[in-house]
Amino acid sequence: MKIVIAGAGNVGTHLAKLLSGENQDITLLDDSEDRLSQMGSSFDLLTIQESPVSIMGLKEAGAGSADLFVAVTPDESRNIVACQLAHSLGAKKTLARVDNYEYLQARNMELFQKTGIDSLIYPEMLAARDIVAGMKVSWIRQWWEFAGGALVMMGVKIREGAEILNRPLNSLGPDQPFHIVAIMREENTIIPNGNDSILAGDLVYFMTMKKHIAHIRRIAGKQELPDIRDVIIMGGSRIAVRAAQLVPDYINLKIIESDLARCHRLTELVDSRVMIINGDGRDPSLLQSEGISHTEAFVALTDNSETNILACLAAKRFGVTKTIAEVENIDYINMAERLDIGTVINKKKIAASHIYQMMLDADVTNVKCLTFANADVAEFNVMEGARITRYPIKDISLPKGVTIGGLIRNGEAILVTGTTQIQSGDHVVVFCLEGMIKTIERYFN
Amino acid sequence: MIHPKIISRIIGVLLLIEAGLMLLCGLMPLFMREDDLFAFMASALIAGVAGMGLLLFGKKARHEENIMTRRDGYIVVAITWVVFSVFGCMPYFLSRYIPSFTDAYFETMSGFSTTGSTIIPDVEIIPHGLLFWRSLTQWIGGLGIVFFTVAVLPIFGVGEVQLFAAEATGPARNKLHPRISVSGRWILTVYLLITASCAACLKLCGMGLFDSVNHALCTAATGGFSTRNASIAYYASPTIEYVITLFMFLSGINYGLIFFVAFKGRISKIFTDTEFRWYLSIILVFSLIVGTGLFLGTPNNAGDSIRNAIFHVVSIITTTGFTITDYTTWPPFIWMILGLCMYAGGCGGSTSGGIKSIRIAILAKSMRNEVNRILHPNAVLPVRVNGKVISPQARQSVLTFFIFFLALVFFGWFFYIAIGLDITDAYGTSISCLSNVGLTIGYHGCNIPWDNMPAIGKWFSTLLMLVGRLEVFAVLLLFSPSFWKRY
Repeated sequence: MKIVIAGAGNVGTHLAKLLSGENQDITLLDDSEDRLSQMGSSFDLLTIQESPVSIMGLKEAGAGSADLFVAVTPDESRNIVACQLAHSLGAKKTLARVDNYEYLQARNMELFQKTGIDSLIYPEMLAARDIVAGMKVSWIRQWWEFAGGALVMMGVKIREGAEILNRPLNSLGPDQPFHIVAIMREENTIIPNGNDSILAGDLVYFMTMKKHIAHIRRIAGKQELPDIRDVIIMGGSRIAVRAAQLVPDYINLKIIESDLARCHRLTELVDSRVMIINGDGRDPSLLQSEGISHTEAFVALTDNSETNILACLAAKRFGVTKTIAEVENIDYINMAERLDIGTVINKKKIAASHIYQMMLDADVTNVKCLTFANADVAEFNVMEGARITRYPIKDISLPKGVTIGGLIRNGEAILVTGTTQIQSGDHVVVFCLEGMIKTIERYFN
Repeated sequence: MIHPKIISRIIGVLLLIEAGLMLLCGLMPLFMREDDLFAFMASALIAGVAGMGLLLFGKKARHEENIMTRRDGYIVVAITWVVFSVFGCMPYFLSRYIPSFTDAYFETMSGFSTTGSTIIPDVEIIPHGLLFWRSLTQWIGGLGIVFFTVAVLPIFGVGEVQLFAAEATGPARNKLHPRISVSGRWILTVYLLITASCAACLKLCGMGLFDSVNHALCTAATGGFSTRNASIAYYASPTIEYVITLFMFLSGINYGLIFFVAFKGRISKIFTDTEFRWYLSIILVFSLIVGTGLFLGTPNNAGDSIRNAIFHVVSIITTTGFTITDYTTWPPFIWMILGLCMYAGGCGGSTSGGIKSIRIAILAKSMRNEVNRILHPNAVLPVRVNGKVISPQARQSVLTFFIFFLALVFFGWFFYIAIGLDITDAYGTSISCLSNVGLTIGYHGCNIPWDNMPAIGKWFSTLLMLVGRLEVFAVLLLFSPSFWKRY
């Protein structure tokens, strides 16, 4: 598959890295030599130094014969123009990054398709969705739904006092309504077997069904945590605006922003449920007078990753149970995790994995790149006569680092144990270490 | 810079139109065989000659004098209302049905400003032609004299924007069409439809044709002149009362909003419009208070209490001023509630006067924000109208308007006390003239006691009416020294 990526910013480079590992023909197009030089020398891809909106540049990059053209420069208008040009040159599919909620609405989709843009991506929107999902179930760090919500996977930080601590997993009994698919300990991802046990401080990924969530909350020792009603957001960024528009009505939101002009702009962007406060979100007296001690969640979304991490730490000292920090500096993500910040948001990673998921071949419809665990989750439709259907799971020698989380059969969710027999037509959710999707694909085709 | 030539040319044209309207009313005595034909012909002649004179003076304007500035717009609008009243009072004066010039001028200004307080002790002996002219002044004044003319005849070609800005009511300017004269015609269509359907409904409810048309003209204009001494009470028909309530309510809505809902099918707009929601809430709350007060404080039964409450609350809030009973026979507590309603006014962009619901909404939200600011000193608290944040300048101008309005009410109150009215009457007259309601509160009945007021009181009242109709600033501007500076 021939893919042209216009814009070697954070989203573009991250996406190029992900795809070059997939044996795709990647051409990276950008007008800055600095950004390109590092990519070309360390990854298996072609870089072209030309403007993404130059026709000559697009021709040189082979946009005309591309299967997919992705425009992810920071400028929305350039992305749209680049996609239109690439489409006119002959690109089969185009994807543009936008900054405008209006463009995403379903009724406007036809308009974009008419002008040659097949899909749109709005990273701030995706990030805001993750933030709001995190607020709705505060004790869950990460949350994914599969097959329209029949199966859910969630990452939960297990602390001292939880029921399932320090016991081998097979001693929990075979009929537990969940399946632990991964454990994140320090910086290592473990795909556990029955002999592993959970230690305090582990981030545990459960695969389960919605009706069992209360049970998991109990065994994970999270019952005493209050639901989120009051939230303070530091930094009136675009993500903050999106999040403010997405939060459910019962959540009270305050946005603290240090720039007065931006504050005035924010009042025009959000509705009357949100209070805008002009000040520094790191100032303890301001936080106290705005009632941080009664706040259940603190979200730091300034442009500065260090500030966000520090502000979340300060908020933790005031007793805020849920902290969410935007960390754009990818190197800091692990550090932020070790400092015990509840959820780390990285919009470039979110965007890149979203695009990645859109383009994966086979019958994979949903691949998520987990920000912490170096792992992928994929959904497969099992083909007639696939290798996986020949024996029960325990008798198939799946490669190490792969586990099957659950499956959907005739619209019903089933959790997988060793004796489960997978049938053709099943919809299977697989959890595997990073980069293994292509190797496990053959088990399902 | 002020451009006298263009001003005189525009006023000249407007006077010719007024002369035309007088001739139109002159048809009435021809059919009715009444004695006011001469008065109309003479008035039309006077207005016509004056108009031609002004037109000739403005004709030979040099090119650089042919520009319309904001100042010219304000002058034209303010002067037009005065000039129209001066010439418009001629039919009353020349026919000797109102022998005093002061009274005739007062009656005309009360008409054009849609106040609807009458100085005529017995309107039922007045000939039909004069009554029709009286109702017509209200109908023309309802949307604004200049607005009316520009919408009917796009003859000026210059300065329409300035003229509209000077005369339009309410702080928001929502254009319906890129061309202001087209917007004007659409608004006029809504106005015509409201008037026509009101007349048709009244006719169906058993009112005579002449009365239906006159009441429809005065209802759509939220004016309140009646062809009967007892106002709407004359008909003693609850159906007619409810029909008039409905049309007063409609006329108090922003005509732009009515246009969008009725002609563009955007029904949902009416439920999301901040001003309309406030307008409706104010009416409902006050009707409820007055209705409860009537039910508990007077022998009225529940149905009559509701009908009386809703009619008078709508009549006063839309600044119409029709009555179906003398509400000053009710407990004084209810007068004061109705006295409070006189401030409210309908919506901006309607024919009503007063402060307007949109300004009340902005004021209320600003007040709430000031309370919140004590709790959250660093918060940035916006005022939103229709989901959009309004600028601090717009907020400021609403607050200033409110302060001016209150100051004028108090000034008027003191003035009327000084010329011998009692305290409640003086208060009622002051707010009533400024809001263009035309009713008062006090121990002497709900009609303003003009017969024992000295001439100066009447002249002062016409000024208050004009200031209220042109929303304070357009007139006060003319009294400010900086307006007349040459640079």
